[in-house]
Amino acid sequence: MLGEFEYLLITAAAGLGENAYGAAIREEIESTAGRKCSIGALYTTIDRLETKGLLKTWMSDATPERGGRAKRMVRVTSEGVRAAKDFYDAVIRVSRGASWAADRAGSSL
Amino acid sequence: MTSAGWSFVAVAAQLLESREREVVLGDLMETRESAWRGFLDVLGLAVRRQLLLWKSWRPWLASFGLAFPGSLLLMGFSISVSQTYQKLVSSTVFNATGLTLGPGFTLLLCNVLLLVAWSWTGGFVIGSVSRRTVRVSAVLSFVPCVFCLARFRVESLSRFCLLLFMLPAIWGVHRGLQIARIKLSSALILAAAITVLTIPTWSRSGSWLPNWALSWPAWYLVVMAWRSQAIKDGKRWRAG
Repeated sequence: MLGEFEYLLITAAAGLGENAYGAAIREEIESTAGRKCSIGALYTTIDRLETKGLLKTWMSDATPERGGRAKRMVRVTSEGVRAAKDFYDAVIRVSRGASWAADRAGSSL
Repeated sequence: MTSAGWSFVAVAAQLLESREREVVLGDLMETRESAWRGFLDVLGLAVRRQLLLWKSWRPWLASFGLAFPGSLLLMGFSISVSQTYQKLVSSTVFNATGLTLGPGFTLLLCNVLLLVAWSWTGGFVIGSVSRRTVRVSAVLSFVPCVFCLARFRVESLSRFCLLLFMLPAIWGVHRGLQIARIKLSSALILAAAITVLTIPTWSRSGSWLPNWALSWPAWYLVVMAWRSQAIKDGKRWRAG
């Protein structure tokens, strides 16, 4: 089972698709989840997820807006998609009956 | 980011591996972080990386199993070698027919060889077992040296006699970082030579513990070289 931050990272990377790399994933997490994401947490989590086979990373070419430095590109593997889906399903199941989840379901109707 | 702030971040980034350093500095430049947050981010990543390394047994072995106790024992042995040398010099006489060496020459030669071999193998294992924590191992090895240098009180000897082991040890660390493993034949010769050189001390009670504490790195190198050769042979056999 994924951890909360691992789920956020995989989901952000999946949403960014071909443009998923360190800085972009970080900005996505900070803007959507509304929490600070340190570079340390980001890259150590990316490494851990890659070791588990849930992500694949590679180095892109250097770009001028980054001072001629390369990006670490990220792609979610099929195992990563499955793990994120399992986490999401578990959150939905466990949230049934919780007042905030019921309110949300009501408001969306 | 100001150039002064940027230079602090660049210095902190030296703690990261080159590939990661490039990626992180690129990310910081792209997102236009403040120098302070960039500095904390880089430092945070470096600390996390170091902490992750310590989840393995290797840095513990290199630092606390070898660097710290090894430097203490080798300092003691360096003093012993210096005293043997001093006795030999005082008993050596010049006469009309030439130089007559004192009786301790063979012992001194054995001890010098042993000091070099123990220091080199210890350094090699420190460098090869845990490359990325070698700075911590170096600090743990220097701390007892500084302590002993400050408290050294032997009138007849220079305090720098404590550090005789340093040069071969640094050479060993350097080689360990470069090649990680030595050939099985070289490792066996080295370990056998060290064991033979310790034979004169076997009769002394209480010397077996420091002997083995300093000799195990040589036998560790034998085991590592043997494993590496067995893996290579296995691959060659499967390919053939």
